[in-house]
Amino acid sequence: MAPLEDELRSALRRREPSPDFTERVLARVAAQLVRRQPRVSQPWVRWVAGIAAALLLSAGGLEYRHYRGEQAKDQLLLAVRIAGSKLNKAQRKVQMVTHRSNS
Amino acid sequence: MKALGLLTASLVLAGALPAQQVKWNFDKLAARASDTVDVSLSGSLLQFAVKFLSDTDKDQAKVKKLVGGLKGIYVKTFEFKKPGEYSAADVESFRAPLHPPEWERIVGVHSTEDGENVEVYIKSDAKGIGGLAIIATEPKELTLVNIVGAIDLDALSELGGQFGIPEGLEVDKKK
Repeated sequence: MAPLEDELRSALRRREPSPDFTERVLARVAAQLVRRQPRVSQPWVRWVAGIAAALLLSAGGLEYRHYRGEQAKDQLLLAVRIAGSKLNKAQRKVQMVTHRSNS
Repeated sequence: MKALGLLTASLVLAGALPAQQVKWNFDKLAARASDTVDVSLSGSLLQFAVKFLSDTDKDQAKVKKLVGGLKGIYVKTFEFKKPGEYSAADVESFRAPLHPPEWERIVGVHSTEDGENVEVYIKSDAKGIGGLAIIATEPKELTLVNIVGAIDLDALSELGGQFGIPEGLEVDKKK
């Protein structure tokens, strides 16, 4: 029985906290208060966030539109180049034949 | 009376129908070709592309002027690894939809020297040239062009040797 009593006494013995205990507890409480502060919910913040999101979306859309436009332009130039070269070839051959028959 | 109404409706519909591209079937050739160029710009996409052409670049400004009123540009080029990959029947199938009175062949150039053949067809309407079709064949290449709308042939031909490509050189191919 005695060893058990000794163990209990040792475990429940009064201990003095460290000198900075109060400061540490207060600092931790302050930090938790800062973390738990409610989000700013003023209407203007929501408006600004909404406008910023809309601007970002529009910028992305414009960028994509520009990319598609440049792609279509390249295709158009390629098509005109091919069509023109074939027509040009036919025209030159006709001119060559006409020139031969005239001389 | 009913028949007259039907006829009138048909004529109105025919007038309202937009100019259409030539219906060509490319399936057989596509399977045999080693390289293919495929450009298909119809109506709104074509006008969208035109908006991106520069006014300050001389060549692009010419293209802008040329294609501004068009309704569609369709170009298909097939390149083959060796001659004989396509037949005369294949070419004939591309000629089939280009028949009179709608279409008229204005140029047919056949060269036995280099094996190059070019046929130019135009579609006439009340305002003049309403469409253009080109069938160009070489031993290892076949090109089909269809332009829907009024086109200035001289201006288009002039643009053929431009864009920094000397005349007589082949155009780029995209795989």
